[in-house]
Amino acid sequence: MAKNPLHTKFCELMGIEYPIIAFTHCKDVVAAVVNAGGFAVLGEAMHTPDEIAADIKWIRSRVGSKPFGIDLVLPASAPTADTLEKLLAGIPEEHRRFAQMIKEKYDVPEPKGQQALHQWGGLNQEIARKQLDVILEERAPVFVSGLGSPAFIIKAAHERGMKIFGLIGKTRQAKREIEAGVDVIVAQGYDAAGHTGPIGTFSIVPEVAAIAGDTPVIAAGGVTTGQHLAAALCLGASGVWTGTLWLASRESDNDMIIKEKLIAATSDDTVYSKSVSGFPMRVLRCPWTEEWAKPEAPRTLGSPYQMLLSSDYIQAANDHRRADLMFEAAGQGVAFITAMKPARQIVADMVEEALSVFENLTGEAAG
Amino acid sequence: MAQEALPTVTGFDPAIAGRYAECDGGGMVPGTGLASREEFAGTLSGDYVDHGDPPWRWYLLTKLVRRPEGYPGDAVWCESGNLFVMEKPS
Repeated sequence: MAKNPLHTKFCELMGIEYPIIAFTHCKDVVAAVVNAGGFAVLGEAMHTPDEIAADIKWIRSRVGSKPFGIDLVLPASAPTADTLEKLLAGIPEEHRRFAQMIKEKYDVPEPKGQQALHQWGGLNQEIARKQLDVILEERAPVFVSGLGSPAFIIKAAHERGMKIFGLIGKTRQAKREIEAGVDVIVAQGYDAAGHTGPIGTFSIVPEVAAIAGDTPVIAAGGVTTGQHLAAALCLGASGVWTGTLWLASRESDNDMIIKEKLIAATSDDTVYSKSVSGFPMRVLRCPWTEEWAKPEAPRTLGSPYQMLLSSDYIQAANDHRRADLMFEAAGQGVAFITAMKPARQIVADMVEEALSVFENLTGEAAG
Repeated sequence: MAQEALPTVTGFDPAIAGRYAECDGGGMVPGTGLASREEFAGTLSGDYVDHGDPPWRWYLLTKLVRRPEGYPGDAVWCESGNLFVMEKPS
């Protein structure tokens, strides 16, 4: 094979070796993946501007001039503000009783401290804007918008030598963001962890690739193996976005209980449930999701009411490290996570497996 | 997190007032680092707010005919890049 199939236009654009993007909330994973020849994005939506600035400096000290990204969840819509008290008062009694029943049935303890969730109003336009401003000031190599359109910031970012990635769940969003000038578009399918769009990875990736022109398209959702990487390239992607894959890596600061659960999980152990936040969200099954899926359960509430209802359970499970109660957002590819490996090895295994797929397809040595 | 006010400019755009629009919206789920997607459709009032510089523009979508189940209220602010102005479906 004359050309290395893994050296894509995304690799060319970023000056990296492998078209693998790790999305993580752990700085150590970012440094390990970047130094292994991949690309990594640190999720900073929950961090203050000062913390974001410090994290950018920390990563730079570990990776030198190699590129990396910072991800924020730019809001795309915002309801009129309400107080926490008013929101809590909006939870129907039937739902409170059902949550209390779960608490008693599974002996869920009280949370140890004040719930982070109860800092209501934690992300509005103003705070997101301040987070974004520090990313511009620090000239992070890449800004990734995990939800809303980054169009308004593209010019300012490009003037600072930065690149912008947009993560989308619909083709019309991709078209809008490509026209606005994003450097890379990440097409996220239904298989992904957390709150995804309704379109499957196998459908949205070629659909977006067909309209992307020269803009590299990255496939997201259910990607955990080299086979997935090879398949994504065949669909027209220039790389893959992986999240769940790193949650059980050696460098990840996730609780060991969660790592063990992820390693033990099969694809059938994730559930697309509205019981956690009120939005459909893919997570590992747990007593909370299972009880709300029963026919006798009340209909789940919308956001933010359902999240306010589930927050006691979530915080208590984590505070007390109750393995029987804890859960994590996880994509359908979780079944392929079978060991706690160093991030460098995960990258190497994925590359080797993808090259092997291409060799089997073509009968020629790849890479 | 510091709560100093960023400069905002409010205004009214008569060119879009009364137009039907869809919003591919969403935001961060409170207390998590996770994004949620949610869809709205309704009528643009024409009101807008620009946050910061360069301006980050948001439009007010009212008289909602589509909103997530349990969404409180009949109006939503939508970020301009996620707003699709179109003909109202019959």
